[in-house]
Amino acid sequence: ERKNAEKKLKQSIKELKDYKEALDESCIVAVTNQQGIITHVNDNFCEISKYTRDELIGQNHSIINSGYHPKEFIKNLWATITYGKVWRGEIKNKAKDETYYWVDTTIIPFINKQGKPFQYIAIRADITKRKKAEQELNELNEHLELKVIERTAQLETVNKELESFSYSVSHDLRAPLRAVTGYANMLEEDYQTKIDEEGKRLLSIIKYNAEKMGQLIDDLLSFSRLGRKEMQTTNVDMNGLVEGVLIEIDKVTKHQAEIKVNKLHHIKSDYGLMNQVMINLISNAIKYSSKNKTPTIEVKSKLVGNDLVFSVQDNGAGFDMRYVDKLFGVFQRLHTQDEFEGTGVGLAIVQRIISKHGGRVWAEGKVNKGAAFYFSIPQS
Amino acid sequence: MENIEIEILLVEDNPSDAELTIRAFKKSNVANKIVHLKDGAEALDFLFGKGVYSTRNINNKPKVILLDLKMPKVNGIEVLREIRSNALTKKIPVVILTSSNEDPDIKACYELGVNSYIVKPVGFKNFTDVVSKLGFYWLLLNKSPNE
Repeated sequence: ERKNAEKKLKQSIKELKDYKEALDESCIVAVTNQQGIITHVNDNFCEISKYTRDELIGQNHSIINSGYHPKEFIKNLWATITYGKVWRGEIKNKAKDETYYWVDTTIIPFINKQGKPFQYIAIRADITKRKKAEQELNELNEHLELKVIERTAQLETVNKELESFSYSVSHDLRAPLRAVTGYANMLEEDYQTKIDEEGKRLLSIIKYNAEKMGQLIDDLLSFSRLGRKEMQTTNVDMNGLVEGVLIEIDKVTKHQAEIKVNKLHHIKSDYGLMNQVMINLISNAIKYSSKNKTPTIEVKSKLVGNDLVFSVQDNGAGFDMRYVDKLFGVFQRLHTQDEFEGTGVGLAIVQRIISKHGGRVWAEGKVNKGAAFYFSIPQS
Repeated sequence: MENIEIEILLVEDNPSDAELTIRAFKKSNVANKIVHLKDGAEALDFLFGKGVYSTRNINNKPKVILLDLKMPKVNGIEVLREIRSNALTKKIPVVILTSSNEDPDIKACYELGVNSYIVKPVGFKNFTDVVSKLGFYWLLLNKSPNE
């Protein structure tokens, strides 16, 4: 019986010894009395603080204070542990050679029978490296922030320059253009008896080109104005939007196209810009299928993964897939003015708008077998 | 010079635009008494009887002033401001007729109390159309204040 008790005690003691050794091996350990005087330190403590054991025992723990933490912090620490509660936190300490180190600290009070702490054990892990990395990261972030501010200012300048450029274009280019058209007309009117058929033909070409130039200027301006607008995102009912688009188009264009609109998804997008996209795509479809005996157009949408994919399909003139890359370029066209009129900016505008929404555009077609234009917008 | 009765005061620095405008008014038979001045400074002298116009009867006021915005010396906005801040001229209808389609300009003009803001169309036919409609509206349809 006594032997058993002894055996159990020996086991307990060995277990405790093993625990202590494991603790000493893996952590930085210090024990102080309730006044904060160091009564025990392990080898790791000596190593990190660069003091010898003799230099530490009997000293106040404040010997390793770095002065980094505010008074409130220290007060709070003491308040916690004298109350008998465990304190956890990160502390910056100062070593003997005046260098600094950071430790992740847990301070555990040992409570006596009266419920008061009689000693404290501090168990720590060296986190100096991690703290340094954190600081470097913060500095990098700050530096990045400054760079962003600088770049934004640069971009704002460029934007302002673009604005005054388009303003110039809008105002200064239009005036001489108006004069060309105006005077050609005056010539025609006032000298019609004195100009022969050929002369009249030449005059009409002058007028036609002046008008084209006006159209080009307007298109270029709306293209550039696009980039500068702020997006206002709402949940757009695409069926309602397309309905409105069709009514608008009917006001301006007479056409025979049969347009089928399926049930469309709602898109989180800028209403005005989406309106522009659908006007351009549907007008194109109508225009390029206008030579067909039975022009038909279909608008549909589907959800593919995280993207909403819309398509406008027609059975018109189509295009050669070899030139598909040119389709969305500004002023790029795959047909001549005689075949189909236009300035070639409609699709470029569509692409710009869809890009602004974080989506992409693409197209498929076959000569004389129709074309399908797609755009996808990620559902955020 | 002293007693020319004036119906339209056209303030326009671009001679081609001026010629087109005057021609359009004449063709539509809306107005005959058009005075064309080439810059804002001259327009103000004319309206207030200063400089070369000091002998003009300034109570002989135009029925409507057509004003371009971008002119040398004194621009359209400054002329508008002067017109609107002077008891003699502040009730005269002013129509801005300009190439500029830019919002800041439009806003500024309305804030100064312009009656109408028209952007000159590029196409000639449209331009003559607009001018004759302007003439018809401001000279025949619209009621001017009795003065």
